[in-house]
Amino acid sequence: MKHYLFLHWQSARTALAKILRQPVGSLLSLAMLSIAMALPLSLYLTVMSIQDWVGKLTQTPQITLFMEQSAETADIAAVSSALKTHPRVKGYTFISKKQALTDLEKRNGLNGLTEGLDGNPLPDAFVVTPASLEPKQLELLQKELSGLPMVEEAQFDASWAKRLYGMVDLGKHLTVFLALALSVALVLITHNTIRMQILARRDEIEVSKLIGATDSFIRRPFLYHALWQGLLAGLVAWGLTAWLIAVANPAIAEFAQLYNERVELRGLSPLELALVLGCAVLLATLGARLAADHHLRRVSAN
Amino acid sequence: MIQFDQVTKRYSGGVEALKNLSFSIDSGEMVFLAGHSGAGKSTLLKLISGLERATSGSVMVSGHNLSKLRGSQLPFVRQHIGVVFQDHKILFDRNVFDNVMLPLDIIGFDRREAARRVRAALDKVGLLGKEKVMPIRLSGGEQQRLCIARAVVHRPAILIADEPSANLDRAYALDIMELFKSFHQVGVTVLISAHDETLMEDYGRRILRLKEGQFTA
Ligand SMILES: Nc1ncnc2c1ncn2[C@@H]1O[C@H](COP(=O)(O)OP(=O)(O)OP(=O)(O)O)[C@@H](O)[C@H]1O
Ligand SMILES: [Mg+2]
Repeated sequence: MKHYLFLHWQSARTALAKILRQPVGSLLSLAMLSIAMALPLSLYLTVMSIQDWVGKLTQTPQITLFMEQSAETADIAAVSSALKTHPRVKGYTFISKKQALTDLEKRNGLNGLTEGLDGNPLPDAFVVTPASLEPKQLELLQKELSGLPMVEEAQFDASWAKRLYGMVDLGKHLTVFLALALSVALVLITHNTIRMQILARRDEIEVSKLIGATDSFIRRPFLYHALWQGLLAGLVAWGLTAWLIAVANPAIAEFAQLYNERVELRGLSPLELALVLGCAVLLATLGARLAADHHLRRVSAN
Repeated sequence: MIQFDQVTKRYSGGVEALKNLSFSIDSGEMVFLAGHSGAGKSTLLKLISGLERATSGSVMVSGHNLSKLRGSQLPFVRQHIGVVFQDHKILFDRNVFDNVMLPLDIIGFDRREAARRVRAALDKVGLLGKEKVMPIRLSGGEQQRLCIARAVVHRPAILIADEPSANLDRAYALDIMELFKSFHQVGVTVLISAHDETLMEDYGRRILRLKEGQFTA
């Protein structure tokens, strides 16, 4: 058993040394493999980051009640007390039209905005935090609140987040599809690399078979070659996506700032990285195994 | 050690290379195999080393019935036999040392012990000074010695040589024969084929004479 492990270790070392010794030849297939892997990875991270962000948005869904322009203090007090006693309302804050205007001015640096306007166009508003986060309950509450006297509209903030969720779902499907397609590509690319290697080392394989090499002995260096190639490609793909994220994040942050949001793409977690590397190694070895089985049978010992 | 029982070998083309052959070779014996080109010498040797399978009859080598062995078991039979191939089968992409190292790699020797054995084998055939040389730069006789070194480096119990003295001048051919005799003297079972019977007669060993796949007296 120890001897067996030793043979494998020796094979693995030799294969890695070979890859490192021919950087140009290995680089080409390595580049192909890592780009093939970086594509679905980047898409995956983008989709997951958006999902995280949308998740944060909808975590505390809020309903905004806009009062009619003609609403008086008494109307506001009535709505206020209705909200206070409503069982499905957890809490609420009142934002007067005056406060809303100053907020707007402050936010956009538009001092004296009102001067050109005929009075304050903004309505009084309540921001309501519902007790239940269940979508059905939320919808019901929204309907009830919009029925209160002098309430112009009850806006459910998360409705557009729902639409975003739909897009995230689409993105997820796309990622799965891309990952599958490129997994096949990964198998085919390694299959081809190993096939070329086998053809280049025909004589060695033939002579080895003549003097008693088993099939597994002959396969072993090719499988290890593929294993290292898959692992290296996985690492390079990880580096590529990390670089992409580092480049994209400032631009995204700046864009999000315009909407007062904080959005950023996240990198791979250690678990995800391990999973990606594991898959890369598995698929590459599979490609090599298929190539070896197919072509070693042709290089016959006789 | 080696026992053929009514062995017939028919190639896929329909050629019957060996016809109903029976003979045996004892452990530690040194035997010659003579016959003209096409007589079936190489075929007989390939049956012993498991490179070809008998069409009928049984081939016993070191207690294994090769005709009954599964294909996946044949490599292990080959690992216990040293073969000097008629067409050498030298790898020209690596130096002398690495050529001789190959059988030990296949068996899975510890590197340091393997290197020691490779040097010992090269020393035995007189190529120790050329271990770093590429085989293309060796003379025909030296290439033959390289093949012999590779055949004996893992110290097989059986040594098979297919026309090891072909294309060599007589003095050199005798040198090679002496080399085989020295292996025989340390207990290896040796089987050597050749066209030229005069080389064999000096040794007073048993000679199997093949003609069109059958033994002649
Ligand atoms: N792989 C093969 N397929 C078909 N026929 C073969 C094959 N190998 C050998 N033969 C035939 O079998 C017969 C015996 O061939 P073999 O190579 O055993 O002769 P040999 O005695 O070794 O000859 P030489 O001295 O020329 O090497 C020949 O007629 C040859 O044509
Ligand atoms: Mg022959």
